[in-house]
Amino acid sequence: MKIAKTLLAAAVVAAASMASTVPGRAAEDGPILVVSGPLSWPFFAAVKKGFDDAAETFGIDYQYIAVTDTSNMTSDYPRLLQQAISREPRMLLVGEFFPDGMDPLIKEATAAGIPVLIHNSGQTLWEQNGAIGFVGEDPYQMGYKAGELQAEAGVTVGLCFNQVPGNPTVEERCNGYVAAMEEAGKETVYQTIGTGDATNPQAMTQAIKGTLQANQSIDGIYTLNAVPAMSALRAVEEVERKGEVMVGTADLSNEALLAIQSGDLAFAMDQQPYLQGFLSIQIAHQFLNYGLHPIGHVKTGPLVIDSSNVEDTLKVNREHTGVRGAS
Amino acid sequence: MRRPEAGAFAAFIITYLFFALATPGTGFVSVNGTAGWLNLASELGIVAIPVGLLMISGEFDLSIGSTVGAASMILALGTNHFGLPIWPTVFLALAAGAAIGLANGLAVVKTKLPSFIVTLATNFIVIGGTMGISRLLANVTSSSIVASDSAKFMFAARWGQANISILWWLVVAFIGYRVLSRSVFGNWIFATGGNLDAARGAGVPVQRVKISLFVATGVAAALVGIIQGVQWNSGNSTYGMGYVFQAPIVVVIGGVLLTGGYGSVMGIVLGTALFGVISSGIFYTGWNTDWIQLFLGSLLAAAVLANNYVRRLALTSR
Repeated sequence: MKIAKTLLAAAVVAAASMASTVPGRAAEDGPILVVSGPLSWPFFAAVKKGFDDAAETFGIDYQYIAVTDTSNMTSDYPRLLQQAISREPRMLLVGEFFPDGMDPLIKEATAAGIPVLIHNSGQTLWEQNGAIGFVGEDPYQMGYKAGELQAEAGVTVGLCFNQVPGNPTVEERCNGYVAAMEEAGKETVYQTIGTGDATNPQAMTQAIKGTLQANQSIDGIYTLNAVPAMSALRAVEEVERKGEVMVGTADLSNEALLAIQSGDLAFAMDQQPYLQGFLSIQIAHQFLNYGLHPIGHVKTGPLVIDSSNVEDTLKVNREHTGVRGAS
Repeated sequence: MRRPEAGAFAAFIITYLFFALATPGTGFVSVNGTAGWLNLASELGIVAIPVGLLMISGEFDLSIGSTVGAASMILALGTNHFGLPIWPTVFLALAAGAAIGLANGLAVVKTKLPSFIVTLATNFIVIGGTMGISRLLANVTSSSIVASDSAKFMFAARWGQANISILWWLVVAFIGYRVLSRSVFGNWIFATGGNLDAARGAGVPVQRVKISLFVATGVAAALVGIIQGVQWNSGNSTYGMGYVFQAPIVVVIGGVLLTGGYGSVMGIVLGTALFGVISSGIFYTGWNTDWIQLFLGSLLAAAVLANNYVRRLALTSR
């Protein structure tokens, strides 16, 4: 079925190029467009490095499209995607961060014969919207893994701290964490913070400190980004419960890696953003030239970084800036 | 009761008592709990004071958010990617803050455009510039900071759990108080914000007043960026974005008139402390946190209303 759909898509592309008034293969002259995350986040800087390195390796030109102002992403991303589709790209590589607005557009694009490859977010949607594949992680599974690790380590009351409430992808991580903890018969607390304070480490520290004081049975914390992870460590220290509260996080930073090395942070979940970019371009190259592509979901995470592999990760981070998404 | 800070003082006492009673046994009123909300308030407070003076003179500065982030990135790029010692990068960051303030001030007085728009534009220009330059130079938009012991002491020392930022806050508040209430320049600030034409007619150098305050605001924002950067060992271009509106909010809670010409440093300090108590205390209650912003907003509205009522009372009782 998938192959039939792909062949159909290819046929539509071929038909479109034959119908074109420009002689030769006009549709194939369209650009390869990437609609992906904001480059102000170290995470997406690593995704872009993957795109760049693969583009150089395979001799491909592409254009990276992203928002610069992150305050209205829910409406900005569908608009950026719409603009990208209207440029009649040869291929679209999309992070489907906001499915409600983006999924109908992706369906339009695939129906019009534009090959679409999804990366990072959209793991439950790509099979329905006609995309040729998906490269990335499942945020629910990432949270689930964190919950399993903490439950196994003996955490009885786990706190999931969400610094960006309202972002569906990020909330899935908390959902996964809560599910794994509850399956193991543990309790959980869900905590958010006001939107103005998402980038203020001091405000996050005081929020987590207050929560730990209000609920003194909390003995595990899961943060959804490396910056709040540092705040969580400081808060645990300030309530004088260092060593009693297990802290783990999603995503990496150099500070987080150093904290794993020193034993303060239990683990960080890496979804290997560089691979999401690199593999997307590689698949695009092989699909456009040979019609080949992986069948099914290409998983890039979660890779658990803990005391066993943190030294190697730090070494790579030093020698190849930006590849690990931890700066 | 005639003083601008009377309303903020009353609101602070009521709010503090409210949280003290609502959070029994959680340590909110303990030394460590107090250090917590003071740490939070002090970083905002350092930049809120010059922002407040600027608002008394009749102008806004919304570019503080990105200046905080830019200062922290200057430290990160300087120490981590160019291997410079930290102190030169500290002065470079302060100079960058001053330059941003000077640009704001010149743009506002020369073009006569509303500072609300001019500095909002600067806010985007500075964060965009910070990200672009960081990426160009080092291919990052956040990075580690390598600080010396002396720099760590000056910007991140802790006594118990109280950060040195609280001392910086007191120093800035003292300077602000001396300038506003004990100097000719302070009278000029009130005059500029109270009635611009009359002030100009009376020979007040209104342009110099505004430009100086914009520069002071830029330097204070850079200082906050340095403090946050050294404290968290990390520069990040998005640090401080929350301050863009939090600073004017605490200034208004502190009794400064949005239209200028009226206010006090003590009031701004109390307004900031109130904000610190609310945004830290709410987590000690252990309530469902989805409602936090609704609660925060309602408390702020109540504080401003109470404040306004007290001020009207004060002004009519003359």
